[in-house]
Amino acid sequence: MKFDLDAVFVEQGCAGSALATRILGALPRHVPVTHVADHETREAARPASGVRDPFGAGKRRMVIARRKTPFLAPCHAGSPRFACCGYLVLTLASNCPMDCSYCFLQEYLADNPAFQVYANFTDSFDELDRLIANARGRSFRVGTAELADSLAFDLLTSISRDLVEFFASRENLTLELKTKTDEIENLLGLDPRGRVLVSWTLSPDAVYRSSERLTAPPAARIAAARAVLDAGYRVAFHLDPLIAYPGAERDYGLLIDELLDTVAPEQISFISMGGLRMTPGLRGAARSRFPGDPMLCGEDVLASDGRFRTFTPLRLGLYRTLADRFRKAGAGIPAYLCMEAASVHENIFGAPPSRPATIATRLARG
Amino acid sequence: MNADEIDAEIRMLAAGRRLPPSHLARWLAMDPASRAAMLEIARAVRLRTGQLMTALETLEEIAVREHVTVAVVLDHPEIRRIASGPGAAPSRATALLEAIRTLRYPLLKKMQENLRSEVSALKLPRGISVVLPKELGSDDLTVSLRVRSAAELAHLLEALDRSRAGLARIIEMLGGKK
Repeated sequence: MKFDLDAVFVEQGCAGSALATRILGALPRHVPVTHVADHETREAARPASGVRDPFGAGKRRMVIARRKTPFLAPCHAGSPRFACCGYLVLTLASNCPMDCSYCFLQEYLADNPAFQVYANFTDSFDELDRLIANARGRSFRVGTAELADSLAFDLLTSISRDLVEFFASRENLTLELKTKTDEIENLLGLDPRGRVLVSWTLSPDAVYRSSERLTAPPAARIAAARAVLDAGYRVAFHLDPLIAYPGAERDYGLLIDELLDTVAPEQISFISMGGLRMTPGLRGAARSRFPGDPMLCGEDVLASDGRFRTFTPLRLGLYRTLADRFRKAGAGIPAYLCMEAASVHENIFGAPPSRPATIATRLARG
Repeated sequence: MNADEIDAEIRMLAAGRRLPPSHLARWLAMDPASRAAMLEIARAVRLRTGQLMTALETLEEIAVREHVTVAVVLDHPEIRRIASGPGAAPSRATALLEAIRTLRYPLLKKMQENLRSEVSALKLPRGISVVLPKELGSDDLTVSLRVRSAAELAHLLEALDRSRAGLARIIEMLGGKK
């Protein structure tokens, strides 16, 4: 286990589940385990009142619970304002043991900060089978990293093994495991049959050191990408959030050079980019938890979507520079922008974005 | 004044301005030199409550980003010039906040200046207005015509057509092209 836990809470209804058995079997002895009634989980797992940073404390309290709502949903970032990549989200866990200063979970999960993992996660496979049965001929890219990191705690849960096995046998589904860890041990030795891609969020060292607590260093993420690529997985990379700090163009350029030295352009399934964006609520929460992080003090202004973003020419200039860098590397790596308007997409890539279903199919099939 | 006396003065000024406790706490959490420098400038230009809150927040952000103290930021020549310069306190307070904002958003201010120069250089006739997006928060450029006759419309459209290249350059600048 690479991340520390202060406590584990098991809903009574999940006590005998395969996932609970797996986790409790792998848990270090010093971590206390409490069984709680199903309706009391949330309160029982809540960090004690008076804790200075309840959100941070919640990250070290794992709850094994039953998910009562659907696992599968369209990406929450989708909006008519933005060009959409057609990503589907499978929520198998909620929260993340890492602690990035810019993370939207600080606002989204402020009232429910414990790390939840869902014991009935295999029910999601029925939802996925219904999805492909109802949309024959279409391909879908499904990711597990909306509210959690796909691989954090995987050494404890081994959920990735079940996922790879399921997706490897479904022709029209591609699983995306998105992570900032190098926790890839469970993946090696499995045969994903081309239907699983592992993606990393990449940031320059300056951002990693300033803002991405407990994550793997960028060089370790790139090395992990090389390892899963050699093991038969597809790989992709997210430069998101892009932070326009002084020296950003140079640092992101060096990061891309380092990436392309290790992973050839033609081996990259796609690249996504997205500028740092924060609702006023998130901005307040982030600055309050990380008052000394210079990455949160960029030249951001309130944009028309109600989020603080780096002012447009600076943000788009950074996209353009990085897109050019990838273009010059050759191989025509597919690329898209996350949570940006179609006009921005056209501005950077020289063509309007395709329809979400078309992009989704292209990214899923590689 | 020693540190305790400065803190007492800060509390007195904060009480007089009804400064929210969270902002007072931020002020008192600064290093001694920054606390004193902030007090001196708040008095010099008689910052009102909202201005004081904005100044505290913005100065902190600059200090974090530049890895310096608030006192160092306040020692900037432009800020010292405003603090000790002539003029009524309210107009100096406004100028001070604008100067702080320029330090907080140096690239944005420079880009806005460049874009305004480009718009001026078009020498468009009255009746055509070119409006840049607020704080360059989007890539929308608004060009509007105000006409009262067909002849006037024809005249403005011709002027606009002559400015096509310049307008395209402005749109490209908004889109991040260097």
